[in-house]
Amino acid sequence: MFSRRDRGRGGDGLEGVISFFGSHHALRAESVMKRAGFPVRLIPGPREISPNCGVALRFDYGLREEAISLLEASSVQFEAVHHYPER
Amino acid sequence: MIYLDNAATSWPKPRQVPRAVARAMTRGGGNPGRSGHSKSIEAGRAVLACRELLAELFNVRDPSRIVFTKNATEGLNVVLVGLLRAGGHVVTTSMEHNSVLRPLRALSSAGVALDVVAADAEGRVDPQEIRRAIGAGTRLVAVTHGSNVTGAVNDIAAIGAVCRERGVRLLVDAAQTVGCIPIDLERLPVDYLAFSGHKGLLGPQGTGGLYIRDEGDLPPLLRGGTGSLSDREEQPEFLPDRFESGTLNVPGIVGLGEGARYVLQRGVEMIMEHDRHLRDVLLEIVSGDPRIRVIGTSAGAPCTGLISVVIRDVSPSAAGEALERRFGILTRIGLHCAPSAHRSIGTFPDGTVRLSWSTFTTARQIAKAGRALLSIAAER
Repeated sequence: MFSRRDRGRGGDGLEGVISFFGSHHALRAESVMKRAGFPVRLIPGPREISPNCGVALRFDYGLREEAISLLEASSVQFEAVHHYPER
Repeated sequence: MIYLDNAATSWPKPRQVPRAVARAMTRGGGNPGRSGHSKSIEAGRAVLACRELLAELFNVRDPSRIVFTKNATEGLNVVLVGLLRAGGHVVTTSMEHNSVLRPLRALSSAGVALDVVAADAEGRVDPQEIRRAIGAGTRLVAVTHGSNVTGAVNDIAAIGAVCRERGVRLLVDAAQTVGCIPIDLERLPVDYLAFSGHKGLLGPQGTGGLYIRDEGDLPPLLRGGTGSLSDREEQPEFLPDRFESGTLNVPGIVGLGEGARYVLQRGVEMIMEHDRHLRDVLLEIVSGDPRIRVIGTSAGAPCTGLISVVIRDVSPSAAGEALERRFGILTRIGLHCAPSAHRSIGTFPDGTVRLSWSTFTTARQIAKAGRALLSIAAER
């Protein structure tokens, strides 16, 4: 399993953000994606992306198709996938 | 002291349970889903971990289909009160606990038609009787999985098949069976299953949950803050937030997770075998005595870890008092919040003496309880 610290400090080049309706789904996505070896990091949900949930999940935007398939196969609801580099 | 009231609440708990509860309050302490800071996220992860363990226990693919409640009663009320409306019809059984019968009696006064299918003298319900009670307007069948009075276990697969065939939803009360009898919700045709956390799952009191196969038109019992969709004044429709308003009992849920982990490691099949073995030990001792009537003892029939007995010429209350005072054995006497179940088995209004054990009870303790019953019976 991916062994990054639970909340990195950024600078990991993860340019994708997945937004969710509720935090259960964000945490479930983190759990499912980590188990599958995706580099992920929970962040406070950026307001300009979504007002829905307190947290969002940073991930490698290049792996978005694989990520979406995994989340759908694991019955994890998400709101949208965004290209949202850190600034 | 020998504690034989595990059907009311299990004791002792695995050591990890109280430790985890304390840790959730000392090292943890955040409010899950309310903020993006690390304490809130930690609390959210801990709640998710418990939900995932429960999903594993019930073989449910999507953990969000399990919502937390404060007990089985709350989960049962969500479905009964949420689904039933005046003019509709509901089928239940005479073996139900008051957690089902009291909401149904209230709904019946408000215009819901109610049919109560009678159980046999051991406390089992014939699925064909349920089939006969289902009509065109039937909205729900509500059935207990295991009786808290006799320990008899209903054939949920057969009852569920009848409900599917007639297009009626099935609510199961698994308060007595969770953690003691395998429950595979991928396989069983069950629409809603309410369970307690403080019995067979060995968690803290004040915990429980409800499995919801399809939330569809089921409204929540309570509405309020969820941390999600905070810009809107309407309740979120998705799971689990639709049914989890207000701050969750995080320490309790974390403890419940440790209880569930213990049950998974031990194995529900193993726990069931242990419970059955203790039942055999007890029956071996008391069944030769004509003064002791044991309720519900068909050999080989599935049952939970409890036995109800009546001692000739000794009231249950006198027997219960003697068991504690003279032998240090704690049991539950009376009607066990299930008056109609006692009518079914012919023990109303005095009730029975109920002895209920857990994975931590030993054969030696059960044998001592059996000999104590013999000695109380012999004194009359």
